[in-house]
Amino acid sequence: MLDWLRFILTAGLLVSGLIILITAVMGVYKFDYVLNRMHAAAMGDTLGLLFCLLALIVSAPDWTTALKLLLIICFLWVASPVSSHLIARLEVTINPRWQQLPPPPGKDEKEEEVQP
Amino acid sequence: MSKRRSDWEQRPQARFLRWMRDGYGALDDQITTSISQPAAPRPDQEAMEAHDILVGTHRHERELALDRLAHYDLQNWANTRGRKVLGRLYAVLALLLGLILIYFLLNTVAFMPRFASADVPANNEVIARYVEKGLEETGAINIVAGMILDYRAFDTLGESTVLFVAACAVLILLRIDLDDHGQPMQQLIAEESDDRHYEPKNDRILQGSAMVLTPIILLFGIYVLFNGHLGPGGGFSGGAILSSGLILYLNAFGFQKAGRFFTYKIFMWVSFFSLGFYGVAKAYSFYMGANGLHSGIPLGTPGAILSSGLIMPLNIAVGLVVACTMYIFYALFRKGGL
Repeated sequence: MLDWLRFILTAGLLVSGLIILITAVMGVYKFDYVLNRMHAAAMGDTLGLLFCLLALIVSAPDWTTALKLLLIICFLWVASPVSSHLIARLEVTINPRWQQLPPPPGKDEKEEEVQP
Repeated sequence: MSKRRSDWEQRPQARFLRWMRDGYGALDDQITTSISQPAAPRPDQEAMEAHDILVGTHRHERELALDRLAHYDLQNWANTRGRKVLGRLYAVLALLLGLILIYFLLNTVAFMPRFASADVPANNEVIARYVEKGLEETGAINIVAGMILDYRAFDTLGESTVLFVAACAVLILLRIDLDDHGQPMQQLIAEESDDRHYEPKNDRILQGSAMVLTPIILLFGIYVLFNGHLGPGGGFSGGAILSSGLILYLNAFGFQKAGRFFTYKIFMWVSFFSLGFYGVAKAYSFYMGANGLHSGIPLGTPGAILSSGLIMPLNIAVGLVVACTMYIFYALFRKGGL
């Protein structure tokens, strides 16, 4: 009974983590602007990896392995937001027009040229 | 006639030629814009010749001018029509190269023996010896460490030397030149400060997290270095972890603070001593082993931290070389110096 509970918990956490990671990868390739892509990548790095590692913790054979995985979660939760913050700060520093929103998707520049 | 012609139109060769000539791709937009806006007016040849006759320019200068003309024409072609043709040609050649590579590799694979069959060349007495007698002969619980640093230590020495030579080559190529007085040139200093102007400096968040993470990363790197013969790890991975901690510190606190403990002198001496110690120690043990003598290096009890003879010092030497090399690569590619 306990084994089954553990297995179901592990599987559910892994699947939800994978869904978030896949969403993050799709976002990185779908968006054009740096800050949007950074947001997608950071989300995958934090929440998706948290779910995956929680699944591994639930299915860990002993306490030391679980503790090590917990430390990995702590490390990633420090490292990933900081790197995203650095990317955002670099964009703000080097792009003077960063506050202007990028053109909405679906409107190509070609069509605008054809109209006049 | 028309039937034959449409027949030809349907053939793959014709379709290929059409694709080469007028296929539509992402490049075409750029090409049309570059056709509509020529970059610079073409130098007039007749006017140039008239000017030559008038002024009586030297032959050398005239040749130079004609060269410039030819170069302009070539560039124009490459920017407009040539770009399309060359792009298609590039795609075709890349595909051909890939197909040829695939053919040769598959051909090689076809002649290989079946995976894990008894007559695989790799399945010989060497592996059996490594697995059965590795612990006894090297004293390392981690058989991989025993293999790469004891049985095949010469190979690892070569790898470390390659790293060192690569660091030297990058140093030669990318280091900012010094003028006669031993100071960096003023222009280069200006460019460098301009370049660094765009990078986030003194970021509080990065500095705070680096204060916490750097000691932990360095400690973990040292643990991996010292634990190479007892578990997963060893010189290369430990050195990479050490250098990542150093690079994090450099990014957070800048070159001035990092330059206090890592200079060219430190890099040179650490690499020199690590490689020299590796070479001397392994030469000694190879010489003694080849002549059937006892090297006098105790193997210790397997599992203890001070065991397995030379493997731990060699791991540390390799790790130091790797850490120095990676750190200096980063510093040179980012700034051109330490």
